[in-house]
Amino acid sequence: MSYCVNCGVELDDTAQACALCNTPVINPNILKKSRAELEKSRKNPPYPVESSEVEDVKRVDMIILLTVVFGSTALICLLLNLFVFSNSRWSLAVMGACAILWVIFVPYLINRKMSPFLAILLDGLIVAVYLYILTFMVDTDKWFWGLGLPIVILSTVVMEGFSFCIRKLPRSILTMGLYFFSAVAVLVTGLEVIIDCYLGGRVSLSWSMLVFTICLIVDITIITLLSRRGLRDAVRRRLHF
Amino acid sequence: MGRLHKGEETEYKRWYKLDLSAIVYPTLQRRDFSSVYRLSVLMKEPVQPRVLQQAVDRTLPRFPTYKAAIRRGVFWRYLEPNHRPGPFVQEDIKNSCQPMRFKGNNRYLIRVYYYGNRIAFEAHHSLGDGTGGMCVLNTIVANYLRLLGHEEIQNGGFVLDINEKPDPEELEDAYMKYANAKVCPPRPAEKTYRVRGTKEPFYTLNIIGGIMSTSQVLEVAKKYNATITEYLNAVLLYALLKRQENGFHLRLRPVRIAMPVNLRRFFPSKTLRNFITMIYPGVDPRLGEYSFEEIVEHVHNYMKYHINEKLLRGDITTNARTQSNPFIRVVPLFLKDFVVKRFYARVQDRNSSAGLTNMGVMQIPESMKPYIERYDIYMGQPFSRRTNCAIISFGDWLTINFTSSIVEADVERYFFRKLVQDGIHVKIESNRNM
Repeated sequence: MSYCVNCGVELDDTAQACALCNTPVINPNILKKSRAELEKSRKNPPYPVESSEVEDVKRVDMIILLTVVFGSTALICLLLNLFVFSNSRWSLAVMGACAILWVIFVPYLINRKMSPFLAILLDGLIVAVYLYILTFMVDTDKWFWGLGLPIVILSTVVMEGFSFCIRKLPRSILTMGLYFFSAVAVLVTGLEVIIDCYLGGRVSLSWSMLVFTICLIVDITIITLLSRRGLRDAVRRRLHF
Repeated sequence: MGRLHKGEETEYKRWYKLDLSAIVYPTLQRRDFSSVYRLSVLMKEPVQPRVLQQAVDRTLPRFPTYKAAIRRGVFWRYLEPNHRPGPFVQEDIKNSCQPMRFKGNNRYLIRVYYYGNRIAFEAHHSLGDGTGGMCVLNTIVANYLRLLGHEEIQNGGFVLDINEKPDPEELEDAYMKYANAKVCPPRPAEKTYRVRGTKEPFYTLNIIGGIMSTSQVLEVAKKYNATITEYLNAVLLYALLKRQENGFHLRLRPVRIAMPVNLRRFFPSKTLRNFITMIYPGVDPRLGEYSFEEIVEHVHNYMKYHINEKLLRGDITTNARTQSNPFIRVVPLFLKDFVVKRFYARVQDRNSSAGLTNMGVMQIPESMKPYIERYDIYMGQPFSRRTNCAIISFGDWLTINFTSSIVEADVERYFFRKLVQDGIHVKIESNRNM
């Protein structure tokens, strides 16, 4: 029979420390016992030690419904395009859109624990495929290689980076703001570089620098707040509601 | 109410409307939260899982509202009989009161566990309250003992006869029967102190239970001229006040406890579904410092004023009036869910600093008592970061179980230390990693 020296409560024979104050239980008699004797005298703890997780409910009905809706829409449009309204390849746009929606929703329903990095990668991939499909509807694919694909790659990389920061680095309202404004700065600068390269081949940053500067000022402010605890507390005191 | 069976057992309803309280619980459902409570009984002999499964299979048809699945309608959810296999008894786990997926577990909203000498029963609050759940658990235990050869076990108290057909009164929504006051008293709505702490990882439920002698607690409560419930309420308020005083706070806030009152004590009803209402005993430290004696007196007076048939009837009427409002009734379910969830998170949940429930003394047949050591009750995972406390007594054992999803155990520590200071011998059991 053990008692907590701090709380004065009796503890279970199997307790290694007091559950209320974390004070360890030290029984001098136990220290003298051998490991084998200890194992023999060990009792079952009052609660199980094994944890378990809630079973994951697969939304099969929803997966089937979405697949049927998107699949039938794509198929009907293809048939209409082939046999009724056949003046252009318009059904490619609809089929591509259906594929995008399917890839966004269904993998998450199949595996609720899917990595967000993989989800973003899949989304980026399907958007790139969709843009490539669109090239078959117009005369040239120059815009895809020069503008569409680089923008999709840039957006995907920025989203992956933002997602990484949110999930793996310290998270608070301030740090979230820092990650967000940094991502916006990188995205707009990259966008202008890609557009300039596509239009004339010569990079001259203008409008993106305005957004970049604003984001930089916000980021510096947040970093200052994060590094100065006193300042952060003062702001919190004045702004709490 | 629901349509009748066309076949043989015509008095069995094919579906059940959710009762007044039960409407709220499914709307609060989150990926990491369900309104699940747990009742357990510690037997004197190790539990035999096969026999327990037989007992569950024999008992459950007697409780049609527990052998049920929850479904979504356009305007409201409802319960319908569940004829799928199960529920299956399983070995107990450390992190009890896990969220319940409505489509998981073969759509059952109950779980039965065993561990050593313990049988535990978990139920979603949309099926019924602790009294209803206790009837199911005790009837399972009585049948389990009978299957082990103890034929002398009788029915009575919380043990129902499984050979009888369910009484329609057991399945009714008793709130509607008594929601007939002429005025609707307003609900209290003031932000109270909230225990802030470090959130535990997903699925963790910390349990700290205190086991003590009922007569010893009664003796101490009498010294303060209070009942056991009043005294323990006062101790919890004292613990919360100390936590607020010693913890970080920008300003002091009132400290209040949400305490369910069993309405069956005031309004005769055999219902096994929810029939409780909340009262909120509390103290306001902004008015000055309270001594423990003052807290006990305050709680005593609050209980005396609020726990009576008239005020409770008014409270039921206020709740029922919202549900029966025709404008609210025609709003689609997803909109109701959206509004209720936000109202609960922003108003109702902030209305109290902790929860406390007292099931009182367990009433079971004399012939069953020799096989049972004690009972435990757990309020389950709290909606927000706070702690819930549940009390039950059987024989001379009184158990107080705290459940929380935060790392810190300050409230529990202040609570049990106060009991020890008052001369009560407390034994602590916990599932925390120690």
